[in-house]
Amino acid sequence: MRPRDRVERTRRALAATIAVRALTWSAAAALGTATVMMLLARFSGLTGDAATWATALLVGAVVFGASAGAWRQLTVQRVALWIEERVPSLQYTLVTAVDPEIGDSPIAGQLEQRIDGVSWHAETRRAILRALARPATAAILAIGLLIGARRVELSAAPADGARVSATKASPRDVPAPFRRLRATVQPPAYAGGGEVTIESPASIAALVGSTVALQAPGSRDGISADAGGRQLAVEPTGDGWRVALTMAGRPAIVRLRHALGERLIALEPRPDSAPGVRLTQPARDTVLRAAQGVISLAADVRDDLGLVSGAFEYIVSSGEGESFRFRSGTLGARQFSSTPTRPRAAVLSGSLRLEALGLGPGDIVHVRAVARDANSVSGPGVGASETRVVRIARASEYDSVAVEGAPPPEGDQSLISQRMLIMLTEALERRRPRLSRETLVTESRAIGRDQTRLRKRVGDIIFARLGDEPTGEHAHGPDEEPNAAAAPTRPDSTRDSVRRAGARAGQRPSAAADSADSVRAALLRAADAATRGGDEILDFEGDETPVVAINRPLLEAYNAMWEASRELEQGEPARALPPMRRALDAIQRARQAERIYLRGKAPPVVVDLARVRLTGKETGGDATRSPRPAADPAASRRAERLTAAMTLAGRDPAAAVDSLVLLRVESLDAAPAFAAALGTAIDALRGGRDATALLARARRIAEGALRVGTGLGAWSGVW
Amino acid sequence: MSEFVFATAQYESGDWDSAPLVPANLIDSVARYTNLRVAPTGVIVSLSSDDLFRFPLLFLTGHLPVRFTDAERTNVKRYTDRGGMLFVDDHNHDIDGAFHKTAVEELTRSVGPLVQLPNTHALYSSFFRFPDGPPNTSHELNGWGDNLVHTHLLAATRGDRIAVLYSNKDYSSEWGYHPDNKRFLSVDNTRFGVNVIVYALTR
Repeated sequence: MRPRDRVERTRRALAATIAVRALTWSAAAALGTATVMMLLARFSGLTGDAATWATALLVGAVVFGASAGAWRQLTVQRVALWIEERVPSLQYTLVTAVDPEIGDSPIAGQLEQRIDGVSWHAETRRAILRALARPATAAILAIGLLIGARRVELSAAPADGARVSATKASPRDVPAPFRRLRATVQPPAYAGGGEVTIESPASIAALVGSTVALQAPGSRDGISADAGGRQLAVEPTGDGWRVALTMAGRPAIVRLRHALGERLIALEPRPDSAPGVRLTQPARDTVLRAAQGVISLAADVRDDLGLVSGAFEYIVSSGEGESFRFRSGTLGARQFSSTPTRPRAAVLSGSLRLEALGLGPGDIVHVRAVARDANSVSGPGVGASETRVVRIARASEYDSVAVEGAPPPEGDQSLISQRMLIMLTEALERRRPRLSRETLVTESRAIGRDQTRLRKRVGDIIFARLGDEPTGEHAHGPDEEPNAAAAPTRPDSTRDSVRRAGARAGQRPSAAADSADSVRAALLRAADAATRGGDEILDFEGDETPVVAINRPLLEAYNAMWEASRELEQGEPARALPPMRRALDAIQRARQAERIYLRGKAPPVVVDLARVRLTGKETGGDATRSPRPAADPAASRRAERLTAAMTLAGRDPAAAVDSLVLLRVESLDAAPAFAAALGTAIDALRGGRDATALLARARRIAEGALRVGTGLGAWSGVW
Repeated sequence: MSEFVFATAQYESGDWDSAPLVPANLIDSVARYTNLRVAPTGVIVSLSSDDLFRFPLLFLTGHLPVRFTDAERTNVKRYTDRGGMLFVDDHNHDIDGAFHKTAVEELTRSVGPLVQLPNTHALYSSFFRFPDGPPNTSHELNGWGDNLVHTHLLAATRGDRIAVLYSNKDYSSEWGYHPDNKRFLSVDNTRFGVNVIVYALTR
């Protein structure tokens, strides 16, 4: 390699190093900036995520631009000099050798000989590693800091989103004593969640029964608190004050008051759902002739927090008229473990032994599945499935009620496609060397039987087109049906058609009709002649439809399938494949054949000009006009309050947000959709974002959906 | 003055009757917006018959290739020379389809080359104003057909009069609904059809 090429290679390595170093420095700078911004946001609330990352990216880009500047100085001469500095033994031969003026002069050869014996690979590698070490360290450090900052950030967010969630207040709207307010939420013990800390909350959504503590540093003097009109105690703590309450079953507002301002915190209780239970077996109600046997029971149970127990409950009712007796019991009871956490979904199973219940005629067994959760606050929540009924028929009902068990549904009788048969045959052929002859023949015959079934289906279509019975094909094996004896007699017209077709195919009439005992044979010969090419056979004579021409691809497929099934029956899958592929091609052609779809003629439309021009007579419609129903007064009030809050938002955004929070809490039960829309708008307002569209959406919801009448009246031409 | 009768051209090749509801819809629009005397139903007239000379406007549409017979070709030429206006709409709304290629070829042979009609043409202000040219159809905006919004119609003229108006915009689909269903539209999309009819009757 010439010295210049070696220097060029080193130059490329150094260029890559510069790029990587610039990228690493810029990443480190960006991550460091993000960390600082995140911490700033954490403690001051002045910046958002978008601003943080935008600033970080900007800083990263600037650092990259500055670090990559060395790239411009990376000429071959400079690189040669750089090498000479690190490898003094070169004695400036390299710089001389890469000088363009040396070119191909005689001295170049001598220089090349001198340089060939010197390597600077180790020096280059050391320099590269040294150049990358510091930026890599900085990047790793920045990543570590970022992770730490994220943890600080995450500690401020609700840890268990399923059980506790919150929205944060914007620090700009918060009076000074409440600016560093922190809420800790401890879900009820049965829920199994840990304590969650929320910084500067505006609303807290948590399970009913959760303990909520609001605390902040500073003096408690002048601070009062109430929730839903109930005064709350403000207790001193080490460096501040604390207000504790329990999440009640209804939404409420906690008001923290001070001479400098008021702070509202919405409490949104989340109820613990009762377990959901679905009885999967028995699938339906049943009437049995005798109380014998075992009925399998199965149920799916699930709960939002955790299941404690589940079981099947049954009630047996006996008697008739005015006299009934009842017995009840449980089956398949199951306790769910609470370690480490209770399961949220499970399957219950059991069996109901009818003999053990001592059932008599007319007795009814009601079965359902029941599950319980661990709710110790407002529960336990009990969920039950729908009830299935098993009744023992009375003797007098036998002639009016079908008490016999229904036969199982028929199995899937769909045919294996020709393409699948080919794939099976190819697979069998590939396995052939490893198979014994007996196995090969068995499997080949199995495919052959499927091929025969498919051929018969194709034959049905062809015969049906010929106007004959679709199942008219003769049987040729134990697996084929109907057998020859049961084959219906074909109409003479078809027989004649086939005979004529055979004659057109070049056979003597006697050969076409007399020598063939079956119509099928004659048909096949005609089809064979038709599909072999040429235009000599295109249709039948006289009054027959051109069935052969229409069916040509299907007939070709039919013949090929016949040949294929014969080979498969003989255990020759390789020889069966060509006709199988021919059959597939023919089926494809038949599929792609032109089809003619007849459609009905559209009824002529006569325009009623007088009606269109409003000059005719209104004949009246059956739909009477009715006044709009009166608006829901509560909805109207909500809409009015929303409008007032929106008006207030222009003057005093903090007060508007408080109004919206109050409205939201009061709407949580009556209008949950409206409350949810308000929540989104409040979040936007607090985040300093444009909430116009969200408030408009909330107003649409408050004003109610479009009122739709019972039906459209007759069109009267009026827009 | 006799009443206006909307005529649909029947030709030997293709599916000339692919938009059976368009005539009633346009008749409805003419009745709705103008005080022209108009027949309540349209008629179907064979391109090869002399009956077509009784109608000032002929509507021709279809999806399939158009191949005029000699009689049809001759009649189309005579019809346009004598002042008739042929409004052709490609029901496929594309510029590479069979209808477009064959219809343009046949019309060019019969009437002359089709050229882009300027969007300031009097056609676009003959009744309603369409300052941006031909209104777009929902099929164009949905990206069906050739996935193009055709900004211009094509036309063959006789003097300053449009003899053949050719559209790739698939008004046949856009207008192919029962006129009673106009009540579901915020803006009646058949208004441009009124312009075509008024233009044909006043030029």
